[in-house]
Amino acid sequence: MCISAEAVVIPRRLPGDLAMWLFMLAELSVFALLIAAFAVTQTLTPQLFADSRQLLDTSTGLAMTLSLLSAGLLAALAQQRVRQAQAGQALGLLLLALLAACGYLGLKLAEYQHLLSLGLGLEYNTFFTLYWILTGFHFLHVLLGMVILAWLAAGCRRRRYGPGNCSGFESGVLYWHMVDLIWVVLFPLVYVLA
Amino acid sequence: MAASTFLLRCWLALVMLSIATVLLAQGRASAWAILLLAVLKAWLITDGFMELRHGPQRWRGLLLAWAAVLALLVGISLSLRS
Repeated sequence: MCISAEAVVIPRRLPGDLAMWLFMLAELSVFALLIAAFAVTQTLTPQLFADSRQLLDTSTGLAMTLSLLSAGLLAALAQQRVRQAQAGQALGLLLLALLAACGYLGLKLAEYQHLLSLGLGLEYNTFFTLYWILTGFHFLHVLLGMVILAWLAAGCRRRRYGPGNCSGFESGVLYWHMVDLIWVVLFPLVYVLA
Repeated sequence: MAASTFLLRCWLALVMLSIATVLLAQGRASAWAILLLAVLKAWLITDGFMELRHGPQRWRGLLLAWAAVLALLVGISLSLRS
């Protein structure tokens, strides 16, 4: 028996809902504008940006990166379990993802508190204005991402998701990955580049 | 390769690239090298975690380009000031 090449080609599939992808595209566009504003302003006042960046702790930034990426891995693993009809394991992984995200939350809040105690608020200088807008906007996205992960965990507990019904779950997990995607660009821009 | 193993390898690569980013900065490496690592990390998330390696090419291209274009813009802006 001969099977043609067309018969075994797996069609390309967009995970999640199209509406979520369009929403993410809008979010990524907004962040692109903010990042572009940061980059352009940096060209105009390079010394101010270099000096201000010294006031941020790179190792804290790295720890936040690792927290977010670990939450992303755990959410992706939970998605695999949902597809394999193992909602119980998916629930456990999502709770771990939330725990990892709490690591970011704690570090970021401590950093904000530290900067405010030094008087480095929104109006201190151009760098910190853009720092607070960029990281604050991202912080709000992390909070929303955590609400979504908690919602997905509650859905797993009620056995709402399964192999034939995981599009909503995929959309929720995709949102978290978008938060990670934005952060991996923000991290070097805000904390690292000299 | 099992999907879970693939995801774990992606995460491991992301962790190593993140640590390498900080080490490069401490070693006064070029900004372009640091930006390249950021783009690689963004691509790992896009293709690995978001599963766009199996997705429609236009969506994949759009997301891969997002990080690359931004890194290019940041790199050019840094070159202009020096």
